[in-house]
Order: sequence, then C-alpha cells, then structure tokens
Amino acid sequence: MNTSVTSIKLVLLGEAAVGKSSIVLRFVSNDFAENKEPTIGAAFLTQRVTINEHTVKFEIWDTAGQERFASLAPMYYRNAQAALVVYDVTKPQSFIKARHWVKELHEQASKDIIIALVGNKIDMLQEGGERKVAREEGEKLAEEKGLLFFETSAKTGENVNDVFLGIGEKIPLKTAEEQNSASNERESNNQRVDLNAANDGTSANSACSC
Amino acid sequence: MLSPERRPSMAERRPSFFSFTQNPSPLVVPHLAGIEDPLPATTPDKVDVLIAGTGMVESVLAAALAWQGSNVLHIDKNDYYGDTSATLTVDQIKRWVNEVNEGSVSCYKNAKLYVSTLIGSGKYSSRDFGIDLSPKILFAKSDLLSILIKSRVHQYLEFQSLSNFHTYENDCFEKLTNTKQEIFTDQNLPLMTKRNLMKFIKFVLNWEAQTEIWQPYAERTMSDFLVEKFKLEKPQVFELIFSIGLCYDLNVKVPEALQRIRRYLTSFDVYGPFPALCSKYGGPGELSQGFCRSAAVGGATYKLNEKLVSFNPTTKVATFQDGSKVEVSEKVIISPTQAPKDSKHVPQQQHQVHRLTCIVENPCTEWFNEGESAAMVVFPPGSLKSGNKEVVQAFILGAGSEICPEGTIVWYLSTTEQGPRAEMDIDAALEAMEMALLRESSSGLENDEEIVQLTGNGHTIVNSVKLGQSFKEYVPRERLQFLFKLYYTQYTSTPPFGVVNSSFFDVNQDLEKKYIPGASDNGVIYTTMPSAEISYDEVVTAAKVLYEKIVGSDDDFFDLDFEDEDEIQASGVANAEQFENAIDDDDDVNMEGSGEFVGEMEI
Repeated sequence: MNTSVTSIKLVLLGEAAVGKSSIVLRFVSNDFAENKEPTIGAAFLTQRVTINEHTVKFEIWDTAGQERFASLAPMYYRNAQAALVVYDVTKPQSFIKARHWVKELHEQASKDIIIALVGNKIDMLQEGGERKVAREEGEKLAEEKGLLFFETSAKTGENVNDVFLGIGEKIPLKTAEEQNSASNERESNNQRVDLNAANDGTSANSACSC
Repeated sequence: MLSPERRPSMAERRPSFFSFTQNPSPLVVPHLAGIEDPLPATTPDKVDVLIAGTGMVESVLAAALAWQGSNVLHIDKNDYYGDTSATLTVDQIKRWVNEVNEGSVSCYKNAKLYVSTLIGSGKYSSRDFGIDLSPKILFAKSDLLSILIKSRVHQYLEFQSLSNFHTYENDCFEKLTNTKQEIFTDQNLPLMTKRNLMKFIKFVLNWEAQTEIWQPYAERTMSDFLVEKFKLEKPQVFELIFSIGLCYDLNVKVPEALQRIRRYLTSFDVYGPFPALCSKYGGPGELSQGFCRSAAVGGATYKLNEKLVSFNPTTKVATFQDGSKVEVSEKVIISPTQAPKDSKHVPQQQHQVHRLTCIVENPCTEWFNEGESAAMVVFPPGSLKSGNKEVVQAFILGAGSEICPEGTIVWYLSTTEQGPRAEMDIDAALEAMEMALLRESSSGLENDEEIVQLTGNGHTIVNSVKLGQSFKEYVPRERLQFLFKLYYTQYTSTPPFGVVNSSFFDVNQDLEKKYIPGASDNGVIYTTMPSAEISYDEVVTAAKVLYEKIVGSDDDFFDLDFEDEDEIQASGVANAEQFENAIDDDDDVNMEGSGEFVGEMEI
C-alpha cells in the first residue's frame, strides 16, 4: 500500500440552495469514505479517500455565504486545484449562475484547476419534479469549457462519490518519493512556517495562553 | 466569568447542528452545520452589530463577534476586502489614487503614482502584484498570532520567516547582531561591549520587575539609559532602539523602548532563528480576508460595494446607498474611511504617516537571508543626507512572498516625520537604497574586502550582507528600473508608540456626547486608522476594546476551541458526542494571554 497523500483544495460554487453543502456532506458521511466523520472547524472540511492506492486528502472550502452579494475574497480561489460548480436541474436560473461561476473560475483561479459541473437534485425528477435543465445542456457546457460533468442526487447519494473520484483521478498523483522530494523542495524554497510548530514545544492551544 | 446577558454561542444557536448530530439519519441530509448557513433571500432586516469597513481591526472584530454569537452585518464601500489594510493590484491602486485625489477616500492625501508601461501592456500584468496599503510584520510571540491559531484563520494563510533586520549607518547597511550566539562569536565586538550587551539583554527580558534599574530613567530617553546605565556605545544603542525595538526617534522613553526590544527578543526562536513572520500573497489585506471568512463561517453576512448613508440612533435604522435598510439592535462600528456623507463625529486624525511604495525590477536577493524573501531596513535619525530626525523604515518583500513576479521586489518605505520634511527623508532613504543596490549588483564591484570594514569612529563592523561601502565614491553606471512608485500621506489618530497605550483606542469613548442635528453618524463608534506601527501589535488591542464596548466584557473574546482535527480522524468512530464537542464553548478556556496585552507584551 502506497502511503503518499496528495492534498487537494476544492472549492464549492453555485447558487444558494442548489445543494452544494449536501453533496459534500453526503460525500463525507458515506460508507465509501475512509473515515466517516467529517471535521467541522472554522477552516474547511477535510476528507481522505483512497484512489488506486493513493490517498487523496480533500480540503473542501465552502463559500460560507460570501458569494451571495458577490463578496467572495480572492483568498477563496487561490491555489484551488479543484472546484465543484453546482446547479439544480429543476432551476434554470441556477444553470445560468453556474455558467457565470465557470467563467469566474477561469478568470480568478489557477489555470490548471479541475472543474466539475454538477447538476444536482435528480431525485426530484422521480418525485414528479420537472427537469428544466436538459442533461445535454450540461454536457455541452462541460465539453465547451473542458469540465467534468455529473448529475447527482445528494439526497439519495446517487453519483456523489463519482464526482470526487472523478476529480481525484484527474489530479496528478505523486508517488511517495515524488511527494517527499516535492515537499522538501517546498520547505527550502518557500520557507513556509508552520504556526503550530513552536520551538518551545507548546502546541497550538498552549501557545494561546502564553 | 461570562456576563449573564451573554448571547448563546454559535454552536448553541445551531439547532440543525444538534439535530444532525443527535439523530444521524442516513436518509435525510441536513444542512452542513458549521460550514454553510442556509442563505436568507435578502439582506437581514435586523442585526446585532453593523460593521462598515473590512480593514484588519474591523475584520478581527467581526470574527470575534460572530463566534461569540452576535448577528453581524459586515459591509465595505469598496468592491474588495481590506479597506485601510487592503492588498491591491496595480489597477486597483490606480483607481484608489484617483479616489484619494478626488477627496473621496478620507484619511489619505497627496497621492502620487508612477506606473511603468511594462505593467499592464508590457511583460507584467496588474494582477501580478499585490500592494499593501499598510504593510505589517507579525512577531512570532504576539497576541494576534495566538488568535490566528485559536481561530484557525492561520489555516487559510501561509507564513514565511523574516530574519534580516538591517541598520543603515555610515552609508552602509549592517546586519543586526541579534542573538546571544552572534554576540559571543562576533570577533569584532570589544569584550567589554559584549559583556554590557549581554547584561542588558538579560535585564530586558524581565525588565518590569527590576524597577530599581529603570525607574530612575523612566522619564528620560532610552539612549541616555543605555549609555549611562549599560555603558553601551552608539552602534549598539542604535541597533537596540531602531532595529530591534523598531522605535521612531531618539526621544523614545525607557518603558516604551524596553517593551519593544523585548518583543523582538522573546519572538526570536519561537519558530526558528528569526523574530518575525510575513504572510504570503499580501499582509494585512490577506489576514483581513481570512478573518472575514472566519466571521462568515461563524454566521456573519458580507456585502461589498455597500455604502452606509446614515444611521438614526433613535430608530436604530441604518440606511445604505442602494436604498436598503437594516435595524441595528446594538452598535454600529465604522472605519473613518467609511464615514457617511454629512458625518460630524469622525475623530480627528492628526498624525501623519508618510509612505512610499516602489516596485523595482531587480531581485535584490543579497538583502535577504538565504531562502527568505523579506527584510527590514531601518534608517536611524541622522543617517540620511536629508538629516532625518525620525526613522525611515523600509520593509522589503521579494518574489518568494508571491506579491510580485520573479525578478522584481517591493520596497515599502514609511516615516513618522510630519509635514514636508517627511517626503525629503523618504526620498533620501530611497536614494540610499538605490545606490546600495546598484553598487551591489554591479559586477565590477564584486569583492570580498567589503565584508569587514572600519567605520569613521574606529570600530570594526561586520557587514555581513555586503550591502556596500560608502556610495559617495561610486557613481552608478545604470539607473534602477522602477516599475511602480506610489507616494501618499495617511492620517491616523494613533500617535507613534500609541500601540502600547490602550487609552488611545478609547477615542470614541465619549459616546454619550450630544448628538449633532443633521449629522449622519450620531451614535456610531469609529475604529482607529492603522498607525505607523510596522507590526500588528495594535490590531488585537483595538479590536478588543471595541468588542468590550459591544459585548460588555472581553472575557469571551475568541473564546472558541475547535476539536482537534487529528483527534477526530484518529478515533474514526461515528459518535455524536464528538460532534457536540466540535465547537466547544467551555468557560474555562479563556484567552488569558491576550487579555494582558493592553499596555504591555507578555514574555
């Protein structure tokens, strides 16, 4: 078993109430996930999955409502390697908004970001809801813009795992050796300081009561 | 120790959070508590606190209030985060300069801008740069750093070390002798000087307790104290006061200077052999975004491009430029830059901070410690040919900080000098830097003899960063390529050294003063503008004073404790109790450390 871990910052985008968070919650609470408990903190939600013997650690950033008045910060997009752009298949307006987010991502985010377009709430079609966004429309947008495309139901769990597996498979995974050398390189080049690693041996919490 | 009227905390106010954790039903997917709120369709009708301006102080305050349980609406008239602390692209700077000169940005004047054609239409784009309006460094042992960790906002950010602090003296830059080890191994320091320096360093780490030593000097200047009491000589006195203490002039009083010198020494080696940190991608602009995001996760509502028009203290209704209104049950907090038209209560901003920001096309790597991309250069009084009375500080950031592309560097110069002299001092400092850099990068002058040299008064000094000998003898063959130059005067109500005195943050204390008829800002509280202080030290103090005014006590300022990520992952068992503890609001977890920071630094 290969022990290398690839971290992926994944950001969520989409109109309010299309089920962005539900998709994530379904993903992190599913049997398929390695450990069942998502981490709830102020920062982001993390979830590890194993794909082809590689462990992928998703760091999932929610908009925290800041997209509502066009108030997302540049920090949100920065260094995101993957994005879910979610719309509701029963709400055409949400699909228009999804186009907007795809455009925004191409302008703001890193060039090689992997974007998955996700039409959610397909369960509503079985319950008598009317489909307002054809599958073909989604497929067409995805093809034009080079996106992954899925239709999901966060409610039943249908296809939800495939979204994250699909992203995980597209991320260039490193071998353990590459991972090590890459992280060493990063240490020396970027001089990143880990604020949880104070020299006096205090942990994050005790550092607070200094 | 919480006040009885304390609002329920974030965790307590989330019914969905508990219903999910206590009845985990595989079929019903509840809303993702703690990560996203269900979004109300419009702006809220009623909030507890309205904050206008997303600068550092306001953002820290917003996050503190949101996690405490207050319902916060946080707006900014700009279309970007940061306000007075913003990190801006070159195009955003252009707009900002126009606004300053039109008079539509209060507290800033006299903005002058040069932008090379290489930016925008040439090899660089506007977005390659992130220019801070009030750049800051973070000491490794400081109240803000504790809060960054406690709130987990540090997870949004990347920090890099800053170890090079240079003093400019006798036309050259000396690297600071900043560790005990260096003092002992420095062959060029006379033995007596070493002993005296060590004696002082030992004293300063615990100076308050030793009143018999410093009390007789309490009203005198720091240089008198160092010369008379510790027999130190000018190079060491200047290093201690200006490079280590980052003080502004020779009039600095003993307690202020001691506290600032200790700040540096206690920060040294906390994370490694350096005292300070810089955030990547921008300074306060980046940190304020992080705190705003934290506030949003905690439930605050964000609206950029929203301008406050007026607040009516009787009806408690705030009106915005787009016509929307909100009822504010508690307080309205405004940055002076966001004051509505016809405001009459904006505190006087009588202190000037002069700033010059340059982007130079030169990597300047010789100014940085190996592997780093930040440095601090201090020009002490009298070191410049303008005969400066106040210090000019130059904070230097290279491409590794991701605020400028490879091959370029950003110089942030500032001074507390008042009036027209300030610009002359800053220009003189810029010239000195330019000359040093040209001489340094000129291949014909590469030699080793400059590593050790004799100064005018006969002392040998170690010029370990090779920033040159007297530039008077050297006429550069080429001029530096400046890509960008921005000069402006910023106004603040906080005087130099004000950071150590909490009373300066009480400028709005007299809230009950008579309302002025026709004023659009009756009953609001103004925050403080950033001061000349290069560290973040004033931020938490200011945010805390404001927090106390709103909540009634600062006992639960950032009193939050997230379950440790690794602990949850390690246990790996579905357990409702773990979720309940995920956001822990225990009374006994108090931020005692930060509580002591008003007026003094903790060791």
